[in-house]
Amino acid sequence: MKKIILGALITAGMAGRLCAAVAEDSKIFTPFFDMTLSEAAFLPSEGNIFSGGNMNTQVGLLTKVTQKDHIFGLYNFNYTGQGFTPQDSKQFTDRSMSHGFNIEYRRSITDRIRVRPGVALTREYRRTGANEVWKNGLYNMNSSGAQLAADYTFSEEKNGYVTVQYLFRNVKFPNYTDLLSEFQNAGNTAETSGGLQDQSMTQFSLRPSWNQFFAGLTLTAQNYKNQKVVANTGVYGASKQKDSDTALDFGFHHTLWIFELSPMVSYTMHTSNQNFMLYKFLGDTSPQFGEKYYDFKELALSVPLDLNVTSKWAVGGALNMTRRAYDKRTARDANNNFTSSKQVNTMTTLTGSIRKRINEVAMVRLFASIMVANSNNKFEKYLPYSYTGKSFGLAYQLSY
Amino acid sequence: MKRLTLILLALFLVKSPAFASVDWESKGMQIAGEIIANPAGFFYDFQQDLEGTTPLPPGKSFGFQMGLFPTLIPVTYTNISGKYRLHAEGRIAPGVPQLDLIGGYWDMLAAKMATKDSKSIDSAKFGGYYMGAIMSTSVSPRVRTFWGYKHSQLDAKLKFKAGEQPTLLGTTVNSFDTGFKDDFFIAGIETPRSIGKLWSIQLNYGLKTQTFSSKVSWYGKYFELGLNIYPEGVLVVHPVWNFHLNF
Repeated sequence: MKKIILGALITAGMAGRLCAAVAEDSKIFTPFFDMTLSEAAFLPSEGNIFSGGNMNTQVGLLTKVTQKDHIFGLYNFNYTGQGFTPQDSKQFTDRSMSHGFNIEYRRSITDRIRVRPGVALTREYRRTGANEVWKNGLYNMNSSGAQLAADYTFSEEKNGYVTVQYLFRNVKFPNYTDLLSEFQNAGNTAETSGGLQDQSMTQFSLRPSWNQFFAGLTLTAQNYKNQKVVANTGVYGASKQKDSDTALDFGFHHTLWIFELSPMVSYTMHTSNQNFMLYKFLGDTSPQFGEKYYDFKELALSVPLDLNVTSKWAVGGALNMTRRAYDKRTARDANNNFTSSKQVNTMTTLTGSIRKRINEVAMVRLFASIMVANSNNKFEKYLPYSYTGKSFGLAYQLSY
Repeated sequence: MKRLTLILLALFLVKSPAFASVDWESKGMQIAGEIIANPAGFFYDFQQDLEGTTPLPPGKSFGFQMGLFPTLIPVTYTNISGKYRLHAEGRIAPGVPQLDLIGGYWDMLAAKMATKDSKSIDSAKFGGYYMGAIMSTSVSPRVRTFWGYKHSQLDAKLKFKAGEQPTLLGTTVNSFDTGFKDDFFIAGIETPRSIGKLWSIQLNYGLKTQTFSSKVSWYGKYFELGLNIYPEGVLVVHPVWNFHLNF
């Protein structure tokens, strides 16, 4: 689920990044290209070494129909490979691949106001360490929808503008089924447990930016079409699941002498009406009930710093920290019993790197990281919660 | 600075205590299992190493390429690729992109030698080809983007002599016939690194099999160095060295 919200946040973020793709006066067509690639080896404190990478390619074309009317088309290929991930998100070996298509019409109302209606289509494939065929992934997702954004420029000198965006997505998980329900109803040949993740999502965002400082307020609502809320009796009730997120973020990118700093902080409040029944084994007759199990507050901090030793070379580092505190979910002990303390997960990564600018559009970076994941949840039969890890790798970026 | 970077990197890689806890034997078995599960995919990654999928440099009409490492050496892919420019950028009309035809062929020498020398192998054929087209357009004096299509095919056939067939998990294997073919979408960008030297990065995506790779390349008049990354492959990173001549 976090993936969908992330995808939507990326869309909201792209509104700022991509509206920077401006038409050159002399051209009818202006291309947009951005490719980032990283590959790294990961060594967790428990388990063997593995490799994983991330690849993101955006290719777009901005067409100037008239001086005031532009059309922007964008294709986005994204691959997220194996790697360390925050607790309660996914396994190290999970991978995802997505194709996103976005077409936007841009109309300048005045010199300072521009509106951008658009449509979007996304196909996402996910696979686990079992290496199933991409099209068979249990959590494969199709999403389609539209958005309307408006930009108001309040300072041309300092590139100050505010973007307001509303988007809607219809999200379907064509392969998803509740395997436990199907197992329990083995005699029923009809499809009874599909479509439980299908949902509609709406998002509103407000993003001001000025002099390379930026901030944002993002409100997201997810309404499930079929998934019901489980009651403390262990039976699904009549009400359907509804999730919402409120996210605030702030950051900047500035260079002072040889120091290039681009910190970012975000705070997310997630709420859901969904509860949780903890069955310790198949056929458990006295399951434990977790009320409002998925509500949490999450703080994410990222502080990358590069020291530009020469015009081409930089040495740098980054501190990344994520802390998630659940509102009502209590941590479990090693025997899978709820304790009295609320569950808190933290993940901290410290990275050192050497960066070389190949020219004005390309750069390469060698990096090495150490990370520490901590949680008061001691039940780690299926997913690790407290561990350390090391990674080192290579990253390229080329953008035009 | 370059030397310092390399020394620091070498020290980090060699002295890092991280490697002390790596179970290399288990990792080797995992890799062997992945090769056995999908041999065609494993060999196809090497085919992509020799495929010339960047556009001809501006002003050149045709070119030849031969993959040297890891294709010719050590996996014995004898290979040749070619490029032919159908249309130079802006020749018909301003803004019309450059269009190149690309293609190539390879044959595995080790498979032929195995047929000749082995007592159990009756015939072996490992080979493949690719063909396609690349369209490139300058977006600034220092940047070209390119787009393309290629059809790639690999054939892997092996037949054992009667009475000499091996057994695998209790089953006698007489022969195997596998392969790989797909149509790929290519998108990339090229930018100068210095005078006469170029740097490019590209995505290759197989429409049917959803095989994908990223190629990062540096090339000059004669040689191309590259790092090809196959995130879902057995050997994820392939260092590549190719020879080419363009006229």
